Amino acid sequence: MVTLIKMLVIGLDGATWKVIKDNINEFPTIKKLMNEGYHKTITVRGKPLSVPLWCTIFSGKKPEEHGHEEFVVNGKLLHRDDINLDFIWDILNKQGYKAFAINIPFVLPPYNFNTQFDAISYGLPETEEEWEKELWSVTEKAKDLLQTKPDLLCVVYTLLDRVQHYYWGSSEVVRWYKKIDDSIKELIQFDNKIILLSDHGFCSFGEAKIKTLKKANIDGREVKGDHHEEAILIAKNINYDIKNPEDIFYAIMNEFNGNKNGTEE
Amino acid sequence: MPRNVTTVSIPKPLADKIRERIKGTGFNGISSYVTYVLRTVLTKVGEKGNNKAKEAFTKEDEEEVKARLRSLGYLD
Repeated sequence: MVTLIKMLVIGLDGATWKVIKDNINEFPTIKKLMNEGYHKTITVRGKPLSVPLWCTIFSGKKPEEHGHEEFVVNGKLLHRDDINLDFIWDILNKQGYKAFAINIPFVLPPYNFNTQFDAISYGLPETEEEWEKELWSVTEKAKDLLQTKPDLLCVVYTLLDRVQHYYWGSSEVVRWYKKIDDSIKELIQFDNKIILLSDHGFCSFGEAKIKTLKKANIDGREVKGDHHEEAILIAKNINYDIKNPEDIFYAIMNEFNGNKNGTEE
Repeated sequence: MPRNVTTVSIPKPLADKIRERIKGTGFNGISSYVTYVLRTVLTKVGEKGNNKAKEAFTKEDEEEVKARLRSLGYLD
């Protein structure tokens, strides 16, 4: 039986508590969500990489279970059809719920479900102009869909990860978090059940337990930060104790179906 | 004008609205915004709902993606 749930899941690729908690008063929307729900650190057990983690977050399968680790395998850019997984939107859609996904970066260009969205720069925005475009276009697309009152909308912003690659440790990072905070404010007015999360955190180069990036890119541009195993989670009106990345899937399933296994009852 | 672009006429009031809408968005002019919107509208829908079906994703697109992955340090 289909029940009336309205849920919004906002992913911030690479967002970290280090920036948020040190500058919390700069981010009134995130602060409000933290006060209205619960928040915690989600520690990634394996490599803190976006591809396996976004797959895990939305499929409920651990990285070692789904095996999808890279955008490119044997020189071939993978597509959605190459990944044999049912995601939360696939399952809920089959159950009759109106589920959408925008800009989910487990493949490139990032994946969309039930809607069209042309990702900025194939989902790999690298310049300030491209970051502005992604912020604006993802927010506008999400608002358009939220106005149709979907049961579930999952949306991911990738720009913070890229900003941190090049500006980690500078005030630029806080400036872009503030812009994201403004965008989140525009989205959360539509729904009451909200999850805000990152796939991994971020840190100074060399600080991470598992190094994932090179010190300089192929153009010689210095990479200032690296991925960190500690991701963020804020959950408002979510009746599930999320402890691991795969629990996001189960938390969503629990809201709609009241069970953990994602099967139709 | 570059040889790979062409001119399209739109009503002036619409152009004015677009000019207002793109303030602070990263779009550097009406043309880039209109290109973005039209591309979004015209993009083919793939089997599972993705924006670009495999056949619509060209070899040039794929090379550009790989170049960006290299630039970000994700690909050797």
